[in-house]
Amino acid sequence: MLCGLVIFAVAAPVFGNPNHQDYVNGLTANGLPVGVGNSRYILGTDTLGRSMLPRLAYGTRTSLTVAFIANATSLGVSAVVALVAGFYRRWTEAVLMRLTDSFLAMPSIPTSLFLAAFLPGGITRVVVIATIFFWAYPARVFYGEVLRLRRRGFVESSEAAGAQGSTIMFRHILPHLFPLVLTYAPLNAASAVLFESALSFIGAGITPPTASLGRMIQENQNALSYSPHLLVEPTVLILLVTMAFLLVGDGLKARNPDLARVSWLTH
Amino acid sequence: MTRRLMARLGQALLVVIFVVVLTFILQYVLPGDPAHALVPRASGAVLERLREALHLNDPLMVQFARYFGGLLRGNLGQSYVQQRSVVSLIAERLPATLLLAFAAVVIQTLIGSALGVAAAFRPKVVGKAVTSIDLVLFSTPSFTIGLLLILLFGFRLHLLPVAGGFGLLQLVLPAITVALGGVPWYAQIVREETIQSLSSPYVRTAIAKGVPDRRIIRTHVLRNIFPPILTMAGLDFAGLISGVAIVESIFGWPGIGQLAISSSNSEDRPVVLGVVLIGTVAIVVFNLVVDILQMYLDPRTRQGF
Repeated sequence: MLCGLVIFAVAAPVFGNPNHQDYVNGLTANGLPVGVGNSRYILGTDTLGRSMLPRLAYGTRTSLTVAFIANATSLGVSAVVALVAGFYRRWTEAVLMRLTDSFLAMPSIPTSLFLAAFLPGGITRVVVIATIFFWAYPARVFYGEVLRLRRRGFVESSEAAGAQGSTIMFRHILPHLFPLVLTYAPLNAASAVLFESALSFIGAGITPPTASLGRMIQENQNALSYSPHLLVEPTVLILLVTMAFLLVGDGLKARNPDLARVSWLTH
Repeated sequence: MTRRLMARLGQALLVVIFVVVLTFILQYVLPGDPAHALVPRASGAVLERLREALHLNDPLMVQFARYFGGLLRGNLGQSYVQQRSVVSLIAERLPATLLLAFAAVVIQTLIGSALGVAAAFRPKVVGKAVTSIDLVLFSTPSFTIGLLLILLFGFRLHLLPVAGGFGLLQLVLPAITVALGGVPWYAQIVREETIQSLSSPYVRTAIAKGVPDRRIIRTHVLRNIFPPILTMAGLDFAGLISGVAIVESIFGWPGIGQLAISSSNSEDRPVVLGVVLIGTVAIVVFNLVVDILQMYLDPRTRQGF
């Protein structure tokens, strides 16, 4: 499972790469993107003559950034919702769960398109949309866990000790919820990466000059027949990043077997 | 029992209503004037008249009431770009999407189940292989698979997806693309279910008796895993109705997803909204159906919020 971490770490230093997306035209005489293994541009160039290597590096950085932020926000929201719902039961619980169901029922792609029209492009947009969609599922999972935790002794004992309501309860339940959250995190991150690439692909995500792996695939769609590397490279990267996260998740699960409930059953 | 049914129905309704409200509100929070989008060249007095005609100056609640009323009557609004009702646009393309989703579900169920069962039977070799395949498949975005397939098969002139359109031949690649994306999921679940049923007493007896025929074991195993698979397939189908949008777009498959994407690009909001609502309704409906079926078939299923 460490290989997951290693791949993951390897992707990170790649950003050290040329800071600059060189718009110097690395096109062949016919104006076509240059292939892999070219002396000047190792990984070739894209249709605008930009070298692939730095773009891939930046794209990876984008994906990772989105993954982390979106992950954090969505998990944060779901944890809060789960805690509140699980704790306050009755009315609050019902409302919050309905809410969760509603969000789960929303189809991601058309809704993202819809939302994308209103939000200014870029990482913020992707993160916001990702949070909106990724919050509901973990919330349900965490909620179940919260319910389970409630039955364990310490809730009653805290109440008996005179702990009052919300704040202190959160201090008790939350730490127990934490391992589950942590185990779910890599899976969520992986999904976020895929989601970001999909959004960028349909144009609802990261905007042009910024490199994004999904975006790169989209931009170069037409050139695919003679420059397959334009598809292969970003794909491989997306693949690696996603797999890295998933493997990390597997590693975490291996160390903590009763959290193995969390598997790749989401998408 | 009926009470649970009613409760479930009520929940579903609430969910739909909530989404409707949410999307409606979003339309108002956003920048952009519908009147302007409708007739970009209008300005000044003409614009004002247009806004009046579209009732854009009415108080929010009134507009919502009108919107909701329209929805109940099945009116999803007019397309900004094409002079047609959203409903007609969607209705026109819905069958294509349904077909694609259905085909994809069938394919992925078959492949996934095959892989899952195989993995359960030979955990060491096949199992590991399947896990790896799953991992890779899951980590690859669908559009990537689609484009790769186009590259591969487009060149052997096997099946030309580029022309788009609605033929059986054109169905193959998109369906496979979508299916491949969903295979890991099924493979995993089928594998677990199979393992579970393999350890059931009946099967163990059969193995002990030396029943060599996988066929017999399969009879039992398959019967066991069938319900959960059906459930998953149903829910998946609903999700796919909206989820195949990207694939549709790549292959030029004339479904509602592609409609949504192109409408989004041309700022045709009512259409996008329509697709969103249809997608949501589909998901909710299928969830409901699946839940109800479960309640009937398996009284053990008593959870639920």
